[in-house]
Amino acid sequence: MNDRMKPGDTLPGWSLPLTPTTIVSTAIATRDWQDVHHDRDVAQAAGSKDIFMNILTSNGLVERYVVDALGPDTELKGIAIRLGAPAYPYDTLTFRGEVTSVEDGIATISVVGSVSLGDHVTGTVRVVALPAVEVRAPASLETPGADA
Amino acid sequence: MTAHERIVAEAERIKALGEASESVAPYPVNQPTIGAWLDAMGYDSERFRHGEAPPSMAQVWTMPGLGRKRPPEDPLTRMTEFLTDAGYTAVLGTNCEQTYERYLRVGEHPRVTSALDSVVGPKQTAMGEGYFVTSRNTWYVGDEVVATMLFRVLKFIPRAGG
Repeated sequence: MNDRMKPGDTLPGWSLPLTPTTIVSTAIATRDWQDVHHDRDVAQAAGSKDIFMNILTSNGLVERYVVDALGPDTELKGIAIRLGAPAYPYDTLTFRGEVTSVEDGIATISVVGSVSLGDHVTGTVRVVALPAVEVRAPASLETPGADA
Repeated sequence: MTAHERIVAEAERIKALGEASESVAPYPVNQPTIGAWLDAMGYDSERFRHGEAPPSMAQVWTMPGLGRKRPPEDPLTRMTEFLTDAGYTAVLGTNCEQTYERYLRVGEHPRVTSALDSVVGPKQTAMGEGYFVTSRNTWYVGDEVVATMLFRVLKFIPRAGG
């Protein structure tokens, strides 16, 4: 669906209900063992309401949101995020996104992921804007044209 | 020297060290770790089930692991410890900017270097007075740069009670 991206295009919204399992499993899967992401007693002793989502997961969910919206062949060039309100269990993380520019073959998509306390993550994702004729290289990461 | 002058001097000293520390991923890029990550994220993709790694996992490969620490010469660790000793005891991640040169593949063994990019402050923020510390990580496979990250934290003096 992203062969004709243009500024102003919006991505479908996506809402992810957050459970303790979401917060803990993603923290461990990102190999982030900081206790505030899996131990509520420690998190609360440190002044937090509960355990909260780690940054590597915020990044991963931004990746998932954009790729799920644009298709599995989407090639990411970068994710730049600013962190805001913490994402706690029993809240819902809701994403929205919009194409802000398409220049030099790169589309820039602004993404906001919000929770009940406000924006958890705001940022931009840069992806390769597919040409009109799609080139699919299934298992190879050879850069097209690199040997030209 | 004032406290601020000492902080600036330490920042300049650490910045001048450049890519002062390096960590090799404890394990190569591997399918079980990718699979667990996809499951936790609720994310699925044939390409990532078969040999490619999701780009935002770049940092995952070089996380130190449970009970392990970053090398003592790590520039971000050095700068944040210096600020802790200066009274800026609390920390909050504020920005993370990653670029991907290419996706990693199963079997590759990345390493990451760390440098201090900037220290800006003191600033009055909603959290309290603090300094923004930005580090720059570069991931390599061999000598090839595969990903980079600018990571910014706010080191601040927590406001007293309530």
